[in-house]
Amino acid sequence: MKKIDVIIIGLLILGGVVSIFLPNVEPHKKIIGQKELLHELNKEGRYITTDEVARMIMEKDPSLILVDVRSPEEYDLFTIDGAINIPVDSILSPSNMVYLDQDAYTTVLFSTGNSLADQAWLTLESYGYEGNRVMKGGLNQWYQTILNPKPPSSTEITREAEKQYLFRKAAQIYFTGIQVSGGTKAQAAKSKPVVQPVKKRKKKPVSGGCG
Amino acid sequence: MGPLFPQEIINEEFNLIFAFLIGIGFGFLLEAAGFTNTRKLAGVFYGYDATVIKVFFTAALTALIGLFIMHNLGWIDLTLTFYPKTFWIATLVGGIIMGAGFVIGGFCPGTSLSAASTGKVDAMVFIGGVLLGIFGFIFTYDFLWKELRVAGAMGKVNITEWLGILEGVFIFLFVLMGVAMFYLFQKWQDWWQKRMSKEDLDELGL
Repeated sequence: MKKIDVIIIGLLILGGVVSIFLPNVEPHKKIIGQKELLHELNKEGRYITTDEVARMIMEKDPSLILVDVRSPEEYDLFTIDGAINIPVDSILSPSNMVYLDQDAYTTVLFSTGNSLADQAWLTLESYGYEGNRVMKGGLNQWYQTILNPKPPSSTEITREAEKQYLFRKAAQIYFTGIQVSGGTKAQAAKSKPVVQPVKKRKKKPVSGGCG
Repeated sequence: MGPLFPQEIINEEFNLIFAFLIGIGFGFLLEAAGFTNTRKLAGVFYGYDATVIKVFFTAALTALIGLFIMHNLGWIDLTLTFYPKTFWIATLVGGIIMGAGFVIGGFCPGTSLSAASTGKVDAMVFIGGVLLGIFGFIFTYDFLWKELRVAGAMGKVNITEWLGILEGVFIFLFVLMGVAMFYLFQKWQDWWQKRMSKEDLDELGL
């Protein structure tokens, strides 16, 4: 036998011996380590402002999915039009993955403040479901900026602040129905889920063969 | 991170480009290793040349060990890769036909294409035969092959589950078997080549 034959045989046997000590093939579970999670957490990128959300709703952006992560009781009491309810403790249930494990839509999570939505976002992120956003300040912020906007105080009148206030005023009219065609707040709150998400594109089947 | 295509890390077009590049490398190395010589390929059946069996076993074992280790390092998810269902009777019959074709014609489908591109007429004739076989199969499928094609269906069989042993242990045993084959075929080749005259060996063009 030639030298190269001996080297190849040696390497193959070494590989075979190493293989004995390795576990069976199981699917990888993608769970992010604490370090990466902390890094993700510090990024502001997960937040979306109430103004942006309001603009998307008013422009009837078809890619928006609003997810209310509070309890069903709170959701029944008040929520943003078109939001669906996925309480934070059932966020990982398989039936919800249609909304959360996809990249065709902008999924925006919100709760009363930040903490519940952040918690839901963190859970999703740690399981590798990326691309979900959190509405900054939650419904409290929504109320203060969109449903009941305050004019900019005299010390901060700038063009931007003025523009923002005008936008919020328009949004207030849009969402609350004040001054327009008699639609009441109660009626507006009644029409609920309108979002019809499609399932994520199926992974292509692999096929193979030998030449 | 892998496999790339099933996880949509690369799109269909890039998948084809990769296939093209790998195909170029494959064809190039087949030719470089002398696999476009029918007598070298058929030599494994007669005993005077063991290159084919050595190369195929080395390739299979390298892929087996490499994929298994890379899976454990998290570089590739083997559960996302394709492996076909087992139809043992159909496979057995197909294997007999393939083996007979191999020893009679001196090519397997891949090497015949590689050899045809170097201008070997016998390889072109072989490809013609392959095409005839394919069309013959298609046109006689309904009344000849329909039942054979699914004969011996066992579903997806994982051999380690079937045998009830650990995958790593199976790989080790398979390596031992491969090495034994490697060694025995080498001995057989040496024995044959000693018995053959120099002219005979030169005539084979190994």
